[in-house]
Amino acid sequence: MIEVIGLTKKFKEVTAVDNVSFKVDAGEIVGLLGENGAGKTTTLRMISTMLKPTSGTAKVCGLDLLKEPDKVRKKIGILFGGEVGLYDRLTARENIKYFADLGGLSSEEANKNIELLAEMLDMKEYIDRRVGKFSRGMKQKVAIARAIVHNPDVMLFDEPTIGLDVSSSAIVQDFILDCKKKGRAIIFSSHSMREVEKLCDRVVIIHKGRLVYDGRVEDLRREYNGEDLEKVFLRLVGDKNE
Amino acid sequence: MSNLWGIVFKKELKDLFRDRKTVIMSVVLPLVLFPLLFGLIGKGVKSTTEKVTKEVKIAYVGGESSFKKFLSNVPNIKLIETKDYQEEVRKGSVYLAVVVEEDFDKKLAQDKMSDIKIIYDSESTNSQTALDVVEDIINKYKDEIVKRRLEARGIDVSILNPIDIKNEPIDKEKANQGALILTMLLPLYLIIYAITGPMAAAVDLGAGEKERGTLEPLLTTQASRMQLLFGKLLAISVMGIIGTTSSLTGLYIAFKYSMDFMGDVGLNISIGSLILIGITAIILNMIFAAVELAISIYARSFKEAQTYLSPVTIIGMIVAYGTYMMDVKSASTIMFNIPLANVSLIIKEFIIGIYNPVHIAITFAWALVYIIAAILFARYMFSKEEVVFRT
Ligand SMILES: Nc1ncnc2c1ncn2[C@@H]1O[C@H](COP(=O)(O)OP(=O)(O)OP(=O)(O)O)[C@@H](O)[C@H]1O
Ligand SMILES: [Mg+2]
Repeated sequence: MIEVIGLTKKFKEVTAVDNVSFKVDAGEIVGLLGENGAGKTTTLRMISTMLKPTSGTAKVCGLDLLKEPDKVRKKIGILFGGEVGLYDRLTARENIKYFADLGGLSSEEANKNIELLAEMLDMKEYIDRRVGKFSRGMKQKVAIARAIVHNPDVMLFDEPTIGLDVSSSAIVQDFILDCKKKGRAIIFSSHSMREVEKLCDRVVIIHKGRLVYDGRVEDLRREYNGEDLEKVFLRLVGDKNE
Repeated sequence: MSNLWGIVFKKELKDLFRDRKTVIMSVVLPLVLFPLLFGLIGKGVKSTTEKVTKEVKIAYVGGESSFKKFLSNVPNIKLIETKDYQEEVRKGSVYLAVVVEEDFDKKLAQDKMSDIKIIYDSESTNSQTALDVVEDIINKYKDEIVKRRLEARGIDVSILNPIDIKNEPIDKEKANQGALILTMLLPLYLIIYAITGPMAAAVDLGAGEKERGTLEPLLTTQASRMQLLFGKLLAISVMGIIGTTSSLTGLYIAFKYSMDFMGDVGLNISIGSLILIGITAIILNMIFAAVELAISIYARSFKEAQTYLSPVTIIGMIVAYGTYMMDVKSASTIMFNIPLANVSLIIKEFIIGIYNPVHIAITFAWALVYIIAAILFARYMFSKEEVVFRT
């Protein structure tokens, strides 16, 4: 469902992503693992059409992002970590509705989806309150609902649990697993092998913009005789450092 | 799909109107600022002036004289006898001291010049006000003496006033002093309001979007950057126009009720002129809305946007003040090609009822060029990866 083909991004002298290729199938969670500055965010920004690749491309549901960026965007939902970007002066419902409208949904469709999401994420109580005073966990749910209100086939998560406490992280992780159940293709970036281990079917490790490993988590474990995967990650990355 | 900018526009307006800070800064403050300011200053000036002129306390220094008699016959003057008049003036217990020389009357009788010295406090407004009052009285007294002296010689007083000036406006119908004041002030205000009105909104919708982290999800929606830009631009322009409207309303109220100088000056502007001025104000707001949005998109944060925008304000104000004294009647057509100056001049023309199609065409054509250039600039900013993802 997602096919990344020789994706490369150069910022002036820095090559942030260097000829990276991998695939993600429907119903599959792929972990995009790398240290700070490895190029995870840049990769996801290119797949979501926010950045133009220097070379290479990616296909989302068979649509080439260079040729049909609008159609690609319709298929994609993003949840990027760090500060959850919401409009504080709008209610939760208005926040979600805005993105539903901009996603090209009809009003009925949008309202139906919002009701379903409010149910699913247990937000009914506060959906008509302004988000400015929400707790981090409540905001996270609104951001999740916003990301998925247009029913995308593909979800891109960029370190979505960064800065979240255990219960908020759990909300996000449950949501990711739920996406998998619904047959979505998911890329999940992280710099923690632990989290990747817990959620992902496959792992793509990048280091300094280059792909260093692409394979099933189990295979990785088998290959290294059940060694602690965090150490395996460091070794894979460390090898390249020399 | 094509009306996605409409969705953006509606959302942004709703968002802006819920921001108490923006509403206060661009709607409420302009509306009440001038009436309050004018009201307070007017009242303050009036009450202190009243207090002083009701009972002008002055120290009289010197012997008995005809002037002392004259002075004590003025109803609101209170003469106070004191030794240490300098100290009293300094303390403010008398507003000023009048020092009359010893042989004042004798000199006058001999048709010589006599001295009156007034000791006042240049740092005290009360003393200044009293000075005006006392000088008036002395002048009156002087006139009386002159008249007496001339009469004693059998000469008519009018010999001192050989020329009597009478001003008569060329077109009595249009004797329109209000319009003259307006041609100076209105362009200035309209330009300044067009700069300041959209600013808070521009900062919020450009840099604010980045700082909140809402820009990334926004860019992955179906809305194109041009649609986002257009919706935002329209919302910012609307805020600017509301700002201009409430500023002018505030100004009008201030003039009307707090001061009297608008009352008796004739002012007649046709409806046509008002509409044209309104259109010009809208165009001005759109120009600055686009420029400010572009700069705001370039900025990384609210703070940075505010920093970048202050020079725009200053440059705009300098140009606006530059056109303040410009006279429309002598403006050549070439001047209608100078940015901002042309807008200022065309407003002046509208006020006094000149509708020169060439001037209007040139000015509005340029305005269109500025707006398009500013939008393209904003779009360029919005499409540059280095700008959108500056960290
Ligand atoms: N807009 C940009 N302009 C210039 N260089 C950039 C830009 N964005 C990213 N980079 C550079 O590209 C490289 C990869 O950055 P990227 O943000 O993709 O890494 P990351 O894997 O997401 O790191 P982190 O774990 O810190 O989020 C870094 O060296 C970064 O400095
Ligand atoms: Mg990152």
